[in-house]
Amino acid sequence: MSMVVANGLTHRFGPEIALDSVDLVLDTGEHMAVLGDNGAGKTTLLRILATALRPTSGRLEIAGLDAFRERRRLRHYIGYVAHNPGLYPALSAAENLEFFCDLQDVSRSRVAEALETLGLASVAHRRASLLSRGMQQRLAIARAILHEPRLLIFDEPDASLDADAADVLGHVMKGRTAVIATHDHALANRLCPRTLVLRHGRSLGTATHLRVVR
Amino acid sequence: MNKLNRFEKASVGAVALMLLAGGAIFFYAPTDFLQGPVQRIFYLHVSSAIAAYGCFAVVLLGGAIFLRTENYAADRWARAGALVGVVFTTVTLVMGMLWAKKVWGAFWVWDARLTSTLVLWIIYAGYLLVRRLTEPGRQAARLAAVVGIFGFVDVPVVHFSVTWWVTHHPGPVIINDALPAQMLATFLFTMLCTIVLAAVMITIRYRIETLMDMKQLIAGPVHVVITREPEPVQ
Amino acid sequence: MNPFRAAIAVARKDLVSEWRTREMVPALAQFVVLALLIGNFGFQIDSRNAPSIAPGILWLALVFAGLIAFGRTFAAEREQSSLEAMLMTPASPVAIFAGKALAASVLLILCEVVLLPALSLFFGTPFSGDLVVAVLLATIGMASLGCLFAAIVARVRARELLLPLLTLPLWIPFIVAGGQAVQSAMGLPGSYDQAIGLLIDFDILFVVLTSLAARFVLDE
Repeated sequence: MSMVVANGLTHRFGPEIALDSVDLVLDTGEHMAVLGDNGAGKTTLLRILATALRPTSGRLEIAGLDAFRERRRLRHYIGYVAHNPGLYPALSAAENLEFFCDLQDVSRSRVAEALETLGLASVAHRRASLLSRGMQQRLAIARAILHEPRLLIFDEPDASLDADAADVLGHVMKGRTAVIATHDHALANRLCPRTLVLRHGRSLGTATHLRVVR
Repeated sequence: MNKLNRFEKASVGAVALMLLAGGAIFFYAPTDFLQGPVQRIFYLHVSSAIAAYGCFAVVLLGGAIFLRTENYAADRWARAGALVGVVFTTVTLVMGMLWAKKVWGAFWVWDARLTSTLVLWIIYAGYLLVRRLTEPGRQAARLAAVVGIFGFVDVPVVHFSVTWWVTHHPGPVIINDALPAQMLATFLFTMLCTIVLAAVMITIRYRIETLMDMKQLIAGPVHVVITREPEPVQ
Repeated sequence: MNPFRAAIAVARKDLVSEWRTREMVPALAQFVVLALLIGNFGFQIDSRNAPSIAPGILWLALVFAGLIAFGRTFAAEREQSSLEAMLMTPASPVAIFAGKALAASVLLILCEVVLLPALSLFFGTPFSGDLVVAVLLATIGMASLGCLFAAIVARVRARELLLPLLTLPLWIPFIVAGGQAVQSAMGLPGSYDQAIGLLIDFDILFVVLTSLAARFVLDE
C-alpha cells in the first residue's frame, strides 16, 4: 500500500504561488529526497506532507487516510523535523524530550532510548541552548522519533548536522518511510533511491539515482 | 449614453432615499421643544448606529459561516460588513459628539451608549488592521472571524457593564422622551433609508472584495522566492 | 490523551523556562514599582482619598502588566516553531492554549502577590480577602482573553500595536466590575457581591468562548 499519495498540491501565500500542482506517491518503507534551490517550495511541500500546513488546493492521503479530515489520527504516524527545530532553550535535552513524551502520550522510557540512538546520552542534562547546532538538530530528530512514527519528514536535516550526518540519518530512517529535503545531492543519492526535484514550486519529476550535470 | 449597471442604479436609488429622508428630517419632523433644532441630529445618529450594528451582524455571521464551512464568500461579506460598519460607526460617534456638545456642553460622556459605540469602533478598526497586516489567505480569514465574533459579543457586554456602573455612579443621562407620532414616523423612515444605504454599500464592497481576490489569482505568475532565515554560520 | 495532563505539562514547561531565564519577572516587577511611584507622586494622596485613587492605580498596573505577561506567551519567534511542534502532537490545541494561559496567569498572580500588599502598605488602604478574590477572578478572564489575542497577533505584523487595541475593549467589563469590587473592598460604597457575581459571569462567558476559539487560532 502506498504510504503517501498526493495529487495537485498547490499552495499560495497571498498572490504568491509557493507550490504549483505537485503530485507524488510514496510506497511504504520508501525513502525519497526532495531537491531544489532555496525558494523552490521544499519547505512548503514538506509542511503540507506533515499536515502542519493545509494547501490551498489538492488532495493528500497518508496511510490511506484523508490527511485533512484525519489530522488528529495521523499525528501518531508522522515525525516531522522542521527547518527551525523549535527546542526549548532553558530546558535540558532530556527535559525537552520528556515534555514531548507527555504530549505524545508515550512512556518516558523512550527518552533514554532516543538519546542513545542519536548519540546524545552524554549531554542529556545539558541545557538545549548550550548544545552545538549539530546536537540541537539531533535532539530535534530524537524528538521526532519518540512516538515511533511510520513516516518521517525532515526539512534539511543535514544543514546543521555534523560529519556523520548520513550515518545518523540512515540509522533513524531504517524501516520507516521517509521524505528528506536537502541541497546535498550526494547525501540524497546515498540515503534515498528516489529524488523529487522542485523548481519554482513545480515538480520536475522524480528520478532514481540522480546525477547532476552542471 | 451609457447604461448604468445594477450597482450604479442601486447607489442612485439609495442616495435618493437618503435625500428623501433628509427632507423628512428638516421639513416634516417638528422641532423639538426642549433641545431645539440640534435634536434633528438624532434621526441620523441613531439610524447610523443601528445600521452599524447591522453591519457587524454581517461580520459575525460571515465569520461564523466561514469557520464552519470554509466558504470564502462568507469571508468576503464579513470584510465588506466590517468596512462599511466602521464608516457608519464613525458617523454615529461624530454626530453623537456634536449633539453632546450642544446639549450638555461636553464632547464626551462615559455613559453606556457612547462607551460601547467607541468600543465597537475600536474593535472593528482592530479587525480591519488584523486583515491588513496578515498575509491574505485561510488563516487570515480565520483569525479575523474570531476577532469579529468576540467583538460582536463584547459590545453588549460592555454596554451592560457600563449601564450597571452608571446605576451606581449617576451622571448625565440621555433623555428618551416618548416620541410624538411625526417624529417617530420620520425616525422609522430615516432608519429604513439608512439600512438600505448600508446594504447597498456592503453589496458594492462585497463585489470589490471578490474582484480583488480574483485579481490575486490571475495576476501573479509563478515566482516569488520564499524568504528564509539565513543559514547559521558554522 | 487526557487534556488536563497536556495543559499541566505545557504550563509547567512554560513556568520552568521562565524560572530559569527570568525574562519576564524584571519587566513585571518594573510595573509594580512604577505603579506605586506614579501613584504617590502623580496624585495628591492622603488618607481620605486613598481608597478612591488606589483602585485606579491597581488596575492600571494590572492592565499593563497583563499586556506584557500575556503578550509574551506567544511572542517569541522561536515560540512559533515550538508551537508548531506542540501542535504536531496528539495534544489538543485547546489544552495547549489552556496550559499557556495558566502559566501566564501564574506569572501575573505572582505580580499581584507583590502589588496588592505593597499598595496597602504605601497608601494605607485596607487589605482583605475580598480584595484578593476580586483581583483573582478578574485575572482569570483577562488571562484567557489576553492569551487568545496574543496568539492571534503572533502571526500578524505590528503585534505590539494590535495586542492592546484588540484586548483592551474586551477587558473593559472586567475593569468595570473588578474596579467596583476593589473599591467596595477598600471601603467605598457599592455592592461587592453584585460586582463579584458579574466577574464570575464574565469569566464563564469568556473562558468558554476562548476555549472554543482556540483551535481556530492556533492550528493552521
